[in-house]
Amino acid sequence: MNTVRLYIRSMGILLKSQLQYPLSFLLQTLAQLIMEGGEMLAVVLLMDRFDHLHQWTPGDLYFFFGLMSVTFYLAECFGRGITGNFPSMVRTGQLDTLLIRPRGILTQVLCSAVDPRRIACILVGTVSLILGSRMSQVEWTAAHVLLLTESIFCGFWLILGLFLIEAILCIHSVKSVEIANAITYGGRSACQYPVDAFPRSLRTLFTVIAPFALVMHVPASRILGKPIFGWPAWTAWISPLTGPAVFAVMMLLFAKAMRFYRSTGS
Amino acid sequence: MKAYLSVFRMRLRMETQYRGAVLGGVVCQIFFGLILIAVYRALYAGKPQSLPLAHVTTYVWLQQAFFRMLLSSDAELMDKVRTGGIAYDLCRPVHLYGFYYARILAQKLMGSLLRALPMLVFAALLPEGWGIALPASVPALALSLAALLLGLCCVCAMENITMAFTMRTLDPRGFQAMLNLLMMILSGSLLPLTLYPDSWQWVITLLPYAQMLDAPIRLYTGEYALPQAPGVLLLQGGWTAVLILTGMMLWKRNQRRLIIQGG
Amino acid sequence: MSYIHVEHLSKSFQIRKKREQGKLLREKQTIRALEDVSFEIEQGELIGYIGPNGAGKSTTVKILSGILTPDGGEALVGGRIPWRNRKEYVQHIGVVFGQRMQLWWDVPILESYSLLRDIYRVPETAYQKRLGELTEALNLGELLRTPLRQLSLGQRMRAELCGSLLHQPEILFLDEPTIGLDAVSKLALRDFLRWENREHRTTILLTTHDMEDIAALCARVMVLGHGRKLYDGSLQELLHRYDRTRTVDIRYDADGILPTLPDSVAVQREGDGLRLTYQPEKLATAELLALLQQAGPIREMTVQPQNIDHLIADMYREMGL
Repeated sequence: MNTVRLYIRSMGILLKSQLQYPLSFLLQTLAQLIMEGGEMLAVVLLMDRFDHLHQWTPGDLYFFFGLMSVTFYLAECFGRGITGNFPSMVRTGQLDTLLIRPRGILTQVLCSAVDPRRIACILVGTVSLILGSRMSQVEWTAAHVLLLTESIFCGFWLILGLFLIEAILCIHSVKSVEIANAITYGGRSACQYPVDAFPRSLRTLFTVIAPFALVMHVPASRILGKPIFGWPAWTAWISPLTGPAVFAVMMLLFAKAMRFYRSTGS
Repeated sequence: MKAYLSVFRMRLRMETQYRGAVLGGVVCQIFFGLILIAVYRALYAGKPQSLPLAHVTTYVWLQQAFFRMLLSSDAELMDKVRTGGIAYDLCRPVHLYGFYYARILAQKLMGSLLRALPMLVFAALLPEGWGIALPASVPALALSLAALLLGLCCVCAMENITMAFTMRTLDPRGFQAMLNLLMMILSGSLLPLTLYPDSWQWVITLLPYAQMLDAPIRLYTGEYALPQAPGVLLLQGGWTAVLILTGMMLWKRNQRRLIIQGG
Repeated sequence: MSYIHVEHLSKSFQIRKKREQGKLLREKQTIRALEDVSFEIEQGELIGYIGPNGAGKSTTVKILSGILTPDGGEALVGGRIPWRNRKEYVQHIGVVFGQRMQLWWDVPILESYSLLRDIYRVPETAYQKRLGELTEALNLGELLRTPLRQLSLGQRMRAELCGSLLHQPEILFLDEPTIGLDAVSKLALRDFLRWENREHRTTILLTTHDMEDIAALCARVMVLGHGRKLYDGSLQELLHRYDRTRTVDIRYDADGILPTLPDSVAVQREGDGLRLTYQPEKLATAELLALLQQAGPIREMTVQPQNIDHLIADMYREMGL
């Protein structure tokens, strides 16, 4: 509980510092809105030309897009410490100041930054999600709401886990961290479309290795009433749990990398 | 003239030094290209278009290969503009516009060549329907290369204008983000311009953003037939001239302002 | 046992050299940052830790503060091994890096402090008491509501010190705290360290290049060079050992007088006077004075010990650093 309190207090402080420059904040938020709006526009334009993607109607695709958008940008918003601050902390040695405090490193890294501008992207995602569910006539039963929430929650941890790959490579002072980005940002670009649109190799990659499909597409397709993979209904409740599992594994690897850091210095 | 040449050469050399980063970037870009093509293939499977699939895959690869050209590239220069460190350059006995133009041009040229070559080789090795197709004809290839050069000049002119504006606004980050977005959406990075609705084509292909990479690609695939080529090149050249003149004017005004205000 | 017990501590790093021409792989080079260093420190001591750049000072501080794990040797601080159970251990220590800030940049420092209170789980009453005491001792009262970025370098260092002492650590590690500070700030900082050391018996290990800091604060110094401990004892003793030369500035009534002196004295013209450097070991001061007086009536004369920085530089040179 103490950790949660610490997190909330840290967020308060960070928000206060960001709002010291209100105009800059506003403009950057607006830019984010247009950026994600542009991404959505691309899907709309593609649907205008092609009408459907396999069995998926435009409404279904907006739903998938919205789900990815909301989840991914929630993770970017709160995982800013991992993607933004951590690499430079390792480079400059600022990481040392975290090591001398009686808290977990990951906790402190997550407490060190937040990116509220992403709210704009989350907003676009939400609009897309609502639009999609209207067009596809989703029935909002309690079970569906719960399933969607679970999917977003688990996806959040999946993406944070993938962000950790970059952090781990950073500790081992690997130069080309872009490779790590390929799987995270590539995953986002690819899995805003349902995974069954892809050839086998990509499908396997995003189901087994970076399980976006298990975390988002299985429950989402269940909500849309067109379950992929032909799996039974209960699997939609279980498969998203792979997200937190990925995070747990990455957290262990991160702890191991930190041990390496402490025995080599940097 | 010598000053511009030497800054150009210096930047060319600097760009070749980041080979490690280039490799990572290329792998990343290839992966993105594959994902995009997979999506378009799936869409085509459902509803074939009059525009052949090979044109779309070629478009994607060329777009990915020259991705770096469109990206605002010179973070160091941008920082200089933002923090006012640019005052030092004002003391140099050169035309600022030309000086920065040469610098940006070198960076974009070398940056995209280093990335484009390995990516195009990779794309050429992919099976049909996934990889890059051959150019429509030999003259089409030659014309598209000429158009690419013109496009490069056009991008540089545009970036110089962005920078000139950056100097005037108090908070450039938001402003730059907006201009970059416009570039993303209207240049074809986000979605090939050829896949935008047919009714939009006449407008978006007239805009300066389409002159940068979209026009050369369409000449390469043969979507712009040979007889259309002079018109296309003329449009490109026209926009480039307009952008360069606008940029020069803006820089001249900035320079005067800087001198009066003392930075 | 002593409060800090360090025995045979050693640590080496691997660094990658730049790739040489014609070679495919970069060679690795091992740097021995610490070799077989041992020492004891009692509770409440204020110790200076000096040595040229790259001597291994920071490595020692990093090991003792739990940031690094050594390759070999033992260390116990207050009965705990620094690199085991990091979270529990760092609750009892405070660290200030001269060049790294740990407070938040854009918020008033008071808010940074209350966040640190949460991080260290300091009970509210203890926090209030400690904060009041520290703000008074560091003269921070009016600055508490100012964001860190608006503070001067000296104010910032005081604020940092306060932040790293809020949880009342038993020991404080200071890594070059006075770097870049003006004279007034330096003096204030030294007063404060003396106060904290006296009031709370806080053990302080001070790493610095500023010999004035050491002279003002530390009864005991340790000298480190090339990863080895070269000296451990009182500063007086150290100075005495290397303090071998004196400087005499002298002006005679009449210009152009040049006393006859043995070769061991270096003579230099300074304006209309002379500057002589001599070693009391070789030529007793009384003898030198006698020789000087023989040359003619003296108008003005001063004898100075060597500047402390020169002395340390000489010492490093002599130790082969």
